[in-house]
Amino acid sequence: MSKTPPFICIDSLDKDFGRRKVLNGLSLDVCKGEFLTIFGPNGAGKTTLLRILSTLSGFSSGSIVIDGFEIKENPAEIREKIGFISHNLLLYKDLNAYENLRFYGKMYNIPSPENRISELLQKVELDHRKFDVVGSFSRGMQQRLSIARALLHNPEIIFLDEPFSGLDVHASGVLDDMLEDFKKGNHTLIMTTHNIEIGLAHANSVAILSGGKIVYSKRGNLPDSDDFKSIYYEYAGDKA
Amino acid sequence: MSYLRHIMALVQKDIIAELRTKEMLNSMLIFALLTMVMFNFAFGSSSAMKAVSSGLLWIAFLFASLLGLNRIFVHEKDENCLDGLMLCPIDRSAIYFSKAISSFIFLSLVEIIALPIFTIFFIQESFLSHLWLLIIILVLSNIGLSVVGTLLSAISINTKARDLMLPILFLPVIVPILVAAVKSTELVLSVSSIDTQQFWIDITVWLRTLAIYDIIFALVGFLTFEYVIEE
Repeated sequence: MSKTPPFICIDSLDKDFGRRKVLNGLSLDVCKGEFLTIFGPNGAGKTTLLRILSTLSGFSSGSIVIDGFEIKENPAEIREKIGFISHNLLLYKDLNAYENLRFYGKMYNIPSPENRISELLQKVELDHRKFDVVGSFSRGMQQRLSIARALLHNPEIIFLDEPFSGLDVHASGVLDDMLEDFKKGNHTLIMTTHNIEIGLAHANSVAILSGGKIVYSKRGNLPDSDDFKSIYYEYAGDKA
Repeated sequence: MSYLRHIMALVQKDIIAELRTKEMLNSMLIFALLTMVMFNFAFGSSSAMKAVSSGLLWIAFLFASLLGLNRIFVHEKDENCLDGLMLCPIDRSAIYFSKAISSFIFLSLVEIIALPIFTIFFIQESFLSHLWLLIIILVLSNIGLSVVGTLLSAISINTKARDLMLPILFLPVIVPILVAAVKSTELVLSVSSIDTQQFWIDITVWLRTLAIYDIIFALVGFLTFEYVIEE
């Protein structure tokens, strides 16, 4: 469809855990500004794929190139470009919200992060609690702060691993708004989810991961949720 | 320079979190003090005390350090904060050195409080003229315990029986440092009854052993830590 080289290029990716093959020759291209939702049954390898893309896990064979950088040779350059949001908070509960973000700001070499921290805390509606210890927050507030943490360095690429899992209505609303902002801001997003309605609501392309490989993908003109459920059952053989 | 800034930020984060909870420091300090009190009751002012005092000191510090090392990565495992660090564009050895420095600071704090109490309980001869030597021994030994313990703690944190795994891995590896620390401390505590020339020959050998051990294991940690924490 596009003649420009893909922004994220995954070729023949294999990942083994002992004798078990979790990813089996997975190939996938993602263009700049694309919002790809990956659906798949439990154990299909969705989280493993995102962990590999975000340099948290290694892989057995294949190649991954992100914005021209080979992932094994240039992990630091890739880490500067990515934000990772998951149901795990990646926050220190003994530090307050401001201390957490300031700490990660130093890790991402943000010169004077105060303005960015204030902006993000307002966005996730936690500026009034910024000096409270994170352990005293509700789960939804912690999730919102976790989103702010992932966006602190203004990443070009955002990976979302089941981001709506465990979110309250308020936090889901904040995340919904942010996902729409990312789309307008030409960010490249890859989200994994079980929830077909949520996944289709934001995406402009979809893929189904099953048996360690992409068994279906579509870019643009996405089917509605009822049609997609039929497609999902056909390719993944599982209820979403 | 950013490498050092990352280490400083990581150490600062560990210190702020620990001072807020004091979980690790309290348990290390209480263990060290209790050990000394118990040994004081057991040995009283017997003649055997002089011979075993340096060993008692290092038993207290060794097991106090184990308590601390067991918890040095616990904050990182909570809510997968280690993943958060690994996502950052930092050299992963910076995480290793920051944890080793934090362990060193916490162990040194415990020793600063426990050492005067040890002196009151167990030491009859003055060693004040050689206190600086004892401080060097403590610093070199603490560096060794921290660099080895941090690496092994990172290995054990991903195992199911992590509280058991660390002592099993740690104790055999630190035997050389323990022997050097006990022997050199014994020399300093009995400095007044040893020939001066022989004292300097012996203490130099043990201090050199400690320094070499520290350098070797700091290098091993620096080179292997990335592979230890990677899946």
